[in-house]
Amino acid sequence: MSVEESPPLIKVNILFFARSRELAGTACVVLEIEPLIIAKDLVNQLVDRFDLGSISQNLIIAHNETYIENLDVEIHLHQGDEIAVIPPISGG
Amino acid sequence: MSGQLKLINSAVLVVGMGGLGCPAAQYLAAAGCGHLGLMDYDTVERNNLHRQTLHAESRCGMSKTESARIALLDLNPRCVITCHSRLLNSSNALHIIEKYNVVLDCSDNVATRYLLNDACVMLKKPLVSGSALKMDGQLTVYNHGEHGPCYRCIYPVPPPPEAVTNCGDGGILGAITGTIGAMQALEAIKIIAGLGDILAGRLLIFDGRYCHFRNVKIRSKRPNCHVCSNQPLITALIDYELFCGAPANDKDISQKLLTADQRVSVIEYQKLRNSQEHLLIDVRSAAEFEICQLPNAINIPLAQILNDNYVNQLSSQLESRKFAVLIVCRRGNDSQIAVQHMKTRYPDHSIRDLEGGLYAWTNHIDQTFPIY
Repeated sequence: MSVEESPPLIKVNILFFARSRELAGTACVVLEIEPLIIAKDLVNQLVDRFDLGSISQNLIIAHNETYIENLDVEIHLHQGDEIAVIPPISGG
Repeated sequence: MSGQLKLINSAVLVVGMGGLGCPAAQYLAAAGCGHLGLMDYDTVERNNLHRQTLHAESRCGMSKTESARIALLDLNPRCVITCHSRLLNSSNALHIIEKYNVVLDCSDNVATRYLLNDACVMLKKPLVSGSALKMDGQLTVYNHGEHGPCYRCIYPVPPPPEAVTNCGDGGILGAITGTIGAMQALEAIKIIAGLGDILAGRLLIFDGRYCHFRNVKIRSKRPNCHVCSNQPLITALIDYELFCGAPANDKDISQKLLTADQRVSVIEYQKLRNSQEHLLIDVRSAAEFEICQLPNAINIPLAQILNDNYVNQLSSQLESRKFAVLIVCRRGNDSQIAVQHMKTRYPDHSIRDLEGGLYAWTNHIDQTFPIY
């Protein structure tokens, strides 16, 4: 019986903008994460780890500068990929 | 030449004559736009001038639309300018917007953003949406082209009011609104003249700290969008202040989280501050604390109160209940949050806030104390 090995974790860059930057306390972090992940799980991880609960319903999450439209699909992450967390701003 | 003719025959509505609206209207007038509508309910204040560059010190107290009209006619006397000096609301929006070809969202609050979006969807007008706060800016064009999304496609749910920072609290650099406002004019000119590739379905993110511009591809129309899909649930304008749980302006709201005995007026504080040993904690950000501060205040930003970092910093002072603790902020809202939070850990200490904050201090005690 063979044991299926989970693929090694990879490093991706998480970029925080506007309010999410304040809540996370940083503009950019490197996160170790599994390369195949349901988008929703990725968002939940980010919300939990970086204290984004108050804005979790109002975020654009972009993978390599493309909006993740369907949070139920699996996304393929590669080493060095960029995940941007973009809340709306309303000032003017 | 044909582009120039299209411009002179165009009518553009600029909603909000603040940090975004001033540069946007200026470039539109200078480019030869034939008709500009300016909409704002507010009057010019001195603390606007660093970013609202059409206004002038001599026009403080004048309506922003009138002040902007004077500056724009100076620049281009052939531009027809209509002032709408009132708040955009659900009963006047459609009537006003229908006369224009393109609308610029230069507003400063979430309720107006949803209202403008829905009205522009209903009237099939492109909406050039700009926003800015601190050192960040965002720009996109909603409701343009067959697949172009609207604001609700991207943000179906409004943010909770407490998660929205206003310009007064957050501060904003004039060059940031200037950058975004100028680009709003650019997108409007492109739409009118039929030039280039419109920023629809893409969001431009400007991070002024690093001078990074990013273009993020955002979604196309949401098939079940409540307003712009084929089967919309919203077919008439709604109450947007109710929908957002926040007023359609950028002014500070006075919260009432504490009971009267947990608060001290600035007049009482003025009397007790020299006679009673106390600890005055200012919970504004470090940058705000640098602008102005009361004598003997120590700065512990609200975030450090809420994450309990203050417990170690003040361990010796809080060990005994000898010191009365007083909390102050700019307007007397964050100070209430801080008192509530500290009271859960130190229920028997005297912890109160300064009602109305430093604003009240300036108004009632010392008029020379800076206001911002």
